[in-house]
Amino acid sequence: MTKKKSEAANEDQTRDTKKKSVSAVKSSQKEKPVLAKQVKSSKEEEDLLLDSATDSDYDGDSLSGSLNSDDFDSDVFDSEDDASQKETEGGDKDSSEDELELHGNEDSDDDDEGEQVDSENDEEDGSDEEREVAEESDSSEDEVAPRNTVGDVPLEWYKDEKHIGYDITGKKITKKEKQDKLDSFLANMDDSKNWRKIYDEYNDEEVELTKEESKLIRRMLKGEAPHADFDPYAPYVDWFKWDDAIHPLSSAPEPKRRFIPSKWEAKKVVKYVRAIRKGLIKFDKPEEEPNVYLLWGDDSASDQKSKHLTYIPPPKLKLPGHEESYNPSLEYIPTEEEKAAYELMYEEDRPKFIPKRFTSLRSIPAYENALKESFDRCLDLYLCPRVRKKRINIDPESLKPKLPSRKDLRPYPNSCYLEYKGHTGAVTSVSPDCSGQWIASGSADGSVRIWEVETGRCLKVWQFKEAVKCVAWNPLPDFPILAVAIGQDLVILNTELGTDEEQQKIEELLRLGTLPEQDEAVAAIVSWLPDETYGGIKIKHFKNISYVDWHPRGDYLSAVMSAGETRGVVIHQLSMHKTQRLPIKMRGLPVCTLFHPTHRGMFIIATKKNVRVFNLQKRELAIKKLETGLREISSMAIHPGGDNLIVGSKEGKMCWFDMDLSSKPYKTLKNHPKDITNVAFHRSYPLFASCSEDSTAYVFHGKVYSDLNENPLIVPLEILRGHSTSSNRGVLDCKFHPRQPWLFTAGADSVIKLYCH
Amino acid sequence: MDGEGEDGSKVIHVKFVTKLYPPFKAPVSSVVIPSNVTRLGLSSIVNSLLTLEKPEAFDFLIDGELIRMSLEQFLLAKGISAERTLEIEYIRAVAPRKEEKPSLHDDWVSAVDGSSPRFILTGCYDGLGRIWSSPGSCTHILEGHTGAISSVAFVNSQGGESVTVATASKDRTLRLFKVDTAESGDSTTRVRAYKILRGHKASVQSVVAEKHGNMVCSSSWDCTINLWNTDESESELSGEAVTTFIGHTQCVSSVVWPEEDVIYSCSWDHSVRRWDVPTGKDTLNLYCGKALNTVDVGGEGSALVAGGGSDPVLRVWDPRKPGTSAPVFQFSSHSSWISACKWHESSWFHLLSASYDGKIMLWDLRTAWPLSVIDTHKDKVLCADWWKGDSVVSGGADSNLRISSGISIS
Repeated sequence: MTKKKSEAANEDQTRDTKKKSVSAVKSSQKEKPVLAKQVKSSKEEEDLLLDSATDSDYDGDSLSGSLNSDDFDSDVFDSEDDASQKETEGGDKDSSEDELELHGNEDSDDDDEGEQVDSENDEEDGSDEEREVAEESDSSEDEVAPRNTVGDVPLEWYKDEKHIGYDITGKKITKKEKQDKLDSFLANMDDSKNWRKIYDEYNDEEVELTKEESKLIRRMLKGEAPHADFDPYAPYVDWFKWDDAIHPLSSAPEPKRRFIPSKWEAKKVVKYVRAIRKGLIKFDKPEEEPNVYLLWGDDSASDQKSKHLTYIPPPKLKLPGHEESYNPSLEYIPTEEEKAAYELMYEEDRPKFIPKRFTSLRSIPAYENALKESFDRCLDLYLCPRVRKKRINIDPESLKPKLPSRKDLRPYPNSCYLEYKGHTGAVTSVSPDCSGQWIASGSADGSVRIWEVETGRCLKVWQFKEAVKCVAWNPLPDFPILAVAIGQDLVILNTELGTDEEQQKIEELLRLGTLPEQDEAVAAIVSWLPDETYGGIKIKHFKNISYVDWHPRGDYLSAVMSAGETRGVVIHQLSMHKTQRLPIKMRGLPVCTLFHPTHRGMFIIATKKNVRVFNLQKRELAIKKLETGLREISSMAIHPGGDNLIVGSKEGKMCWFDMDLSSKPYKTLKNHPKDITNVAFHRSYPLFASCSEDSTAYVFHGKVYSDLNENPLIVPLEILRGHSTSSNRGVLDCKFHPRQPWLFTAGADSVIKLYCH
Repeated sequence: MDGEGEDGSKVIHVKFVTKLYPPFKAPVSSVVIPSNVTRLGLSSIVNSLLTLEKPEAFDFLIDGELIRMSLEQFLLAKGISAERTLEIEYIRAVAPRKEEKPSLHDDWVSAVDGSSPRFILTGCYDGLGRIWSSPGSCTHILEGHTGAISSVAFVNSQGGESVTVATASKDRTLRLFKVDTAESGDSTTRVRAYKILRGHKASVQSVVAEKHGNMVCSSSWDCTINLWNTDESESELSGEAVTTFIGHTQCVSSVVWPEEDVIYSCSWDHSVRRWDVPTGKDTLNLYCGKALNTVDVGGEGSALVAGGGSDPVLRVWDPRKPGTSAPVFQFSSHSSWISACKWHESSWFHLLSASYDGKIMLWDLRTAWPLSVIDTHKDKVLCADWWKGDSVVSGGADSNLRISSGISIS
């Protein structure tokens, strides 16, 4: 090896321009080496010729000028240690021939050797290094020959050693002291050339790059040719002469195999195809699944969601805590009392896990609930919904319309302070007089009573043979008479509550003189008779009367006979003692009628399904038909303003119609579980009420705005209870006090109650 | 001073003082009593101090407030230090000690007047007024009305020989009667009216006489208040209204005439009004919010207005307080409408209320609890009044006039 290196060094001398310049410097110092060099250069040319065939690694560039100048010494050294070297390099056969020859050459150079023995070792190392590097690259001209002789072994083999290898003499090369970082940094700062230093860990030394070398590196970094004088764009010289070569080198015809597809290739392809079909060859490797996953992570946001249509994330598990330890600290252990308390709890409320202590892991028994839990899990899977239900999470409170507080809507009736007791049968109808001092009531026991509102005192009683269906107080304040429907009779009663003059007028009115001529059709269904027992008028109808209503002027009076069908509604005129049939053709069974409170001729008839508004003066068909959508209408009341109407039905629903707005209900209130028996509006307060067979009455705030753009405001206020159910009937009638926010309710329990604010 | 008693309970040093005369005057000396005693305990302590023959019930006042709980709680609630010697004033408990024999009527007793110490005047739903000289003995029957009597009043009870009374009825008239008190005996005398006052268009609800008896004032369902002369000089039987006060919009349910030129009225239109008699204008309008049945004026400087109506709350207003019509006191122990309320004629603090729940309650402005509840009526109490300063007369729907006597109001 050494020989080879030295020889290579020699060769280099001749080739390198740099070397020359350096040697020139040297030659100024010494004459001899120059001479030797010249000799050598001639010799080397021969070597070159010899070596070129076998060994292409002549570079020798790595030898720096200074080293090159001492090249010959290495030869001397070689000769000295030849034998030993040979032994060590027994395996190095590739260049054995060269060595021999080189030895020959070197021998002739022996004269030079004595001069520079001092620098031998270095030289040798350098050349050795150079040699090895030379094998790798051609361009490493400036490299120093390595002094470490361990070869291309991983340096970590020497990691734990104090040395990093052996030098050419077989001595250990000890590692340098590691400079600590602070020192190296300081050195860096002090020495401006420090950036050029490179640590060579193979030789454990610092190498300072020359300017040339750094330029070389810079050029390489730029992607240019390392040598500055290399011209990549040199003009192309075509050495081949084409001009006269008109024929191919061989005139043999093209063989056939060049035109037909290869049989063997085809066979090979078929083989591959079959292998692919059989699955022996696979193209896409199965994706490697990561075998780690986030154990406690939240997988609700994972991609599983997108993969499954109905992915239900499992419920999150509680992270294990200290209490789940097999030997938790004492504060986690429940006391006996707590355990006893757990026993008393419902199973759902009981804590799922009760911490227990075990002395060792060995003593932990098997999980007692394992079987049960796996069964439960199976049950869960079996009962798991197949379709995911979309639940909208809305606070039900937020869906409620914003209603004003009840407090702000006072006064309204809410508590019962007075009861009017005396009837022996269900009270079917009540009617307060227009001043609010008296109230009349009719009962199923056949009595009509007048009560003093203030004290609950019964003032007058009229007893009839049949159950009283309906009582109605004349709306005029100076005309205190009562219309009472009993069976087929409509009786006008004098209450004798007016002043003497009023009393005179009433008596005059109730005296039936010569009756005016009636139509035949009317006479067939109605006849006016004096009432003997109580001195009033009895109007006998052909069917049972179910409802009576006064015109607001107090002269006209309508009577409804449910069974009368098309002749079911008649209007009596009290002052003329005359009866009129409706000028309109009726449809359906009439239930109740109303005179419009403000418009004189308007007349409202409720049949079982619909409500129709007529104008009596114009004798037309219905002006308006209100579609209630109810199964069976039971009662009806009109707002004193005249534009709003409430209709109660036997299915417990109440409809509010804004007659200006639409023929459909503005609001339908479903409150009562049983039939609504009556509905009522207050004359002056914004209140309305409904009463029902379920023994309750509901009071509502119903404000109608004078601004036509604003819809009526309806607020439920109060449920009035107190009546008891008697023979399946509850509250049969309700009427507001005409001046106070009080409500009278007539119960089937034969009591009339007054609810006050 | 606040030490521990033998049984571990706290004790308080107290001094009992009183304005009562002997034998109810206890020696003024400091006494140590346990702090958890109630009125009953205090009463027995005072009784033991007095060594009376018959035990007497007392009520106790600390700083002008009646004790209605244990002493300890009271001191805590009022923030009074228990460390100094407390001065406790005691008065005789305001509670009826005797229930007189009921006087049965033929119908509901709707009105009663006890302003004369000699008689009790009642009105009844049978249309008759009655004068009772003592419980159970009816001396006169006032007849003539065709409707139920709603209100009665002594017009002039000072006259020695004869007494003038006024009755108001639902037959829209008022009648004035002269009763000769000299007549005595077991038989009841029937008296007819010397004057019939017509003019109201609806039931007359209330009648009240002026102090000197020259005029009566009536209120009616026709929303008016009428003033009438009572003098007999006119030859005619019927009289007409001197003045009419118009202003209420609904039934005027009650009037009082505490001073010569001031009339208070209450109405179902939720207001209490004060009328100036000479001008006929209303000078005050208290809005109550409830229909009112009864009003009375009395109390401190006879300026407080008490009223009750269509709810179980007895309210007391102070019209001297500017800018507010909120009641200064509200007593709400009743459970139904209040039908009558009357101030005690001599005490500033005491008033009674009668309610449709059948109870009469005696109130003291110094406590929110009723002093006592008279529960003798079986049905609605329609009217009630003080009599002779120490009795309560009341009539109700059980057709009885009941007298609870022995109420000591100092």
